[in-house]
Amino acid sequence: MKAFFIIFKTEFLLFLRNFFSFFFALVFPVLMLVLFGGIYGNEPIYSGKGMMDICVPAYAVMVMGVTGLMSFPLTLAEYKEKKIYKRFDATPVGKKQIIAAQTTVHVIMTLIGIVILCGMGKLLYDIKIQGNVGPICVGILLSTASMFSMGFLFPVIGPDSKGTSLLCYICYFIMLFLSGATIPDMLFPDTMKTVAGFLPMTYAVDLMQGLFAGESFHMYRTELLVLGLSAILLTALGALLYRKKDWT
Amino acid sequence: MEQAVVQVEGLNLAYGTIRAVQDVSFSVKSGEILAVIGQNGSGKTSTVECVEGLRKPNHGSILVFGKNPLKHRNEVYKEMGVQLQETEYPPKIKVEEQCRLFASFYEHPADWKQLLAQLGLEEKKKRQVCKLSGGERQRLSILLSLMGRPKLLVLDELTTGLDPEARQNMWISFRNIKENGVSIIMVSHYLDEVEALADNILYLEQGKQRFFGSQQGFRDYAKEQIPEGERKEGCSLEQLYLQIAPKTASQKWRLE
Repeated sequence: MKAFFIIFKTEFLLFLRNFFSFFFALVFPVLMLVLFGGIYGNEPIYSGKGMMDICVPAYAVMVMGVTGLMSFPLTLAEYKEKKIYKRFDATPVGKKQIIAAQTTVHVIMTLIGIVILCGMGKLLYDIKIQGNVGPICVGILLSTASMFSMGFLFPVIGPDSKGTSLLCYICYFIMLFLSGATIPDMLFPDTMKTVAGFLPMTYAVDLMQGLFAGESFHMYRTELLVLGLSAILLTALGALLYRKKDWT
Repeated sequence: MEQAVVQVEGLNLAYGTIRAVQDVSFSVKSGEILAVIGQNGSGKTSTVECVEGLRKPNHGSILVFGKNPLKHRNEVYKEMGVQLQETEYPPKIKVEEQCRLFASFYEHPADWKQLLAQLGLEEKKKRQVCKLSGGERQRLSILLSLMGRPKLLVLDELTTGLDPEARQNMWISFRNIKENGVSIIMVSHYLDEVEALADNILYLEQGKQRFFGSQQGFRDYAKEQIPEGERKEGCSLEQLYLQIAPKTASQKWRLE
């Protein structure tokens, strides 16, 4: 446990020293909020909800995406390619604890990013969070698990760190633009809505917007099922592939 | 009879259709230094990585402290320190953070601050590892291998990147470590280093074991391989080695 704490602390420091990870998890979502909040404002337009009331839960999913689909897999891919995991395998601890610490750090940074985003939303645009904290937290954790399970796969599927980067960028940006995380899906034509239906991030955005608006879980059974199943199945597949992978 | 610290029997390792290591057997006793020598691609690193439990052999048995390093890696690594041929570190990590991290892996770690001072790295402890010179990184790599107060050290290219003075200091250090009963397996291309340190030699050629035995035994073996008229007395280990090493196509190149 002492080793895990030190690994966690070290990885946390390294995350903060990585400008890309730090900026996109903690700063960029707030910039989006300020930028689009400046354009749209937060006057009630959709059944009493303002644009920022709808956008903040969607931007929260963007934070999950940037850490889960970009920072997390890119860190894993770098450690794998530079054989840093191999060096850890040549100690009593092994790479599993390092990967566990890296996952924990990225999840915590995701949660911090979401808290900062919501705090700034409240401060700048007085956004309305009508749901209870409990269900919202469950929704955040489930959606985060789904994003991270996808990101977990990329380093083993990608042939090298460049291949992994390509996978990350393609998946992240497709989901970012088609899931409703940045562009409201009510503006999409039917074809794009159908495509969006195949993306787990779409379900995360729907769930988060619903829970922030105070709607109950039973209205989001499909979303919960898709996110839960994708998290379990993709993590299991990732674990299997990691075991088979040659790390030397 | 004293149990060997490392016991390898009939080790075979293949990468696809390439047989990297074929029927290699050797042992290392407590307080012994074994040097693994051979040309590039002769299977030295593959052999030691099997001992380290980092590669799974196709055939053969490996026991480290009487245990299979693949199945009992945690137990084995409590007593085995490793310096890999190439070591990269987490980006932007500082020297002292790397040391503290590795110290946390062991129940009774070495005093890494003292090791930093002994290896001339004390002033660099606040520096990012990626900004160290090649020699400094090599010394850090050696420091990390000593972190768990190991009884067995596996060092792949111990002094690569070190200046002559640092190499001499390193030899003295490892003689002292050996005096304390630590066994060492070292892969090296520097035959002067092997001559200065090794008790036993494992000589590999294209994955095959050509010789395993004492340093004097290797000298006798090498002399036997050299045609009688070409033998010279008082040759260094390197001179002997150069006469017996195969002149493969890859070794014949040179700039004119």
